[in-house]
Amino acid sequence: MTDGAAIAGLGMTELGKVYGRSPRRLAADAVRLAAADAGLALADLDGLLVSHGMGGSPGIELADALGLRDLRLLTQMNSFGATAGAMISYAAMSVASGAASTVACVFADAPLKPKQSAGSAYHRDAREWYGFGGMTAALGLRSVNAFYALAAQRHMARYGTTSEQLGAIAVSTRQWAARNPLAQMREPITIEDHQASRWVAEPLHLLDCCLVSNGAIAVIVTSADRARDLARPPVHVWGWGQGHPGHRKERGSGFGLTTGAATSGPVAMKMAGVTVDDIDVCELYDCYTYTVLVSLEDYGFCAKGEGGAFAASGALGPGGTLPTNTGGGQLSGYYMWGMTPLSEAVIQARGDGGERQAGKNDVILVSGNGGILDHHATLILSPHQKGA
Amino acid sequence: MGMDIGILRRDGRTDPFFDGAAAGRLTVRHCAACDHWIAPGEASCPGCGDEDPRWRDASGEATLVTWTVTHGRPAADGTAPPPAVLALVELAEGPWLHTRLDGVDAAELREGLPLKAVFAHPEEGESYLLFRPA
Repeated sequence: MTDGAAIAGLGMTELGKVYGRSPRRLAADAVRLAAADAGLALADLDGLLVSHGMGGSPGIELADALGLRDLRLLTQMNSFGATAGAMISYAAMSVASGAASTVACVFADAPLKPKQSAGSAYHRDAREWYGFGGMTAALGLRSVNAFYALAAQRHMARYGTTSEQLGAIAVSTRQWAARNPLAQMREPITIEDHQASRWVAEPLHLLDCCLVSNGAIAVIVTSADRARDLARPPVHVWGWGQGHPGHRKERGSGFGLTTGAATSGPVAMKMAGVTVDDIDVCELYDCYTYTVLVSLEDYGFCAKGEGGAFAASGALGPGGTLPTNTGGGQLSGYYMWGMTPLSEAVIQARGDGGERQAGKNDVILVSGNGGILDHHATLILSPHQKGA
Repeated sequence: MGMDIGILRRDGRTDPFFDGAAAGRLTVRHCAACDHWIAPGEASCPGCGDEDPRWRDASGEATLVTWTVTHGRPAADGTAPPPAVLALVELAEGPWLHTRLDGVDAAELREGLPLKAVFAHPEEGESYLLFRPA
């Protein structure tokens, strides 16, 4: 084992309504940007981990598109929104074991088409439906919004969580976005704006739902030793964990109430040698406001059922006790699946947050969530060498 | 129950469910070896992995687990599709189904609300399952 792994480069293409470039092209551009950010040539890479969004591309042919040769690690990974965390942990283990020395991890997607609504990128419609599953879709259960609404409503019914408490997350996230030039939605909003925004699937208003973005983000993982000699300050990977609760749809299921944060959090924090009290900044996967609320509970930042009150306390926004989603997250910043929280964590760990830089950034927790709260990944990152 | 859901066809894998629906019966799966009831859409028995547990009629009794009222995106002229009350329900036998509720007031919904299976028989396409307050 070496002295651990670190993120040495970050590359982000233009994000949002970026048209005319395929996901593969966007991914290649992000890898080039990340290598350049680290002060590396593409030829210095000996590993590439690829993930994609709704479009099913790119896959491992990205290595060809980049002209990479003699790679020692190349694969496509997919645990949906948890993939970014999974990629970083695989890259860190590969570096630690000596299987590879310098690994690019990339995500790209381009679901937005010109003159098409953001919602339609993640929604399907048909006149004819087939079989039992088709019947469920025909009856209206065919958007991710509806499934997350079922989860959020279950929490509300069980614990008394309110729409206004979800709104507090939308508002604090937008407050951060207003300070981030990379964010797509920077106009300040109030709880009243949240309440007045149209229903998507009750209890979720439009302002409870994330954006949809085109673009790509890549990071370079290498040994902490090597990272110290590169262009940017290393972001050390202290710990990682995954959690896949496998809630079955039957009597006794915890669907909607508990997530894989409850298992991946303790694993990652134990590996890092920290507890929730040590976390200075949270970058939490926020496909919906509710995802943030339930993740905070499952990590143990508050008790189960108290996520709503915790969010409404102002803890998450600028000046709060637990700066969360400091770049505006996926609700207001940009929607690059697990790369959204990861990229902002790298920016915060480097102290590059500008107007939105958190005062204390020693220990940063990053989450990823995939499926309908089915898959979860946690990373603990720091600007400091672990144990130093 | 006259809602426009498009046209529903069989898929060759879940046909017994539609035979039951046409006759007003809720037909799901049951693994005899594990004595485990399984939703029609599941791929296999979680206990033993059997990929073709036999079809068996359930009671049609259920309780409400959670729900959502979905609102379609408004069109340019401001009109929107009618809201739909969608739900996860727990059959008395244990499996959960994603479904749609009929004849309910969204304000009166609560966890555990007793429900019963009802079936719609459109002129074209297969019969389909909905749930109503018991």
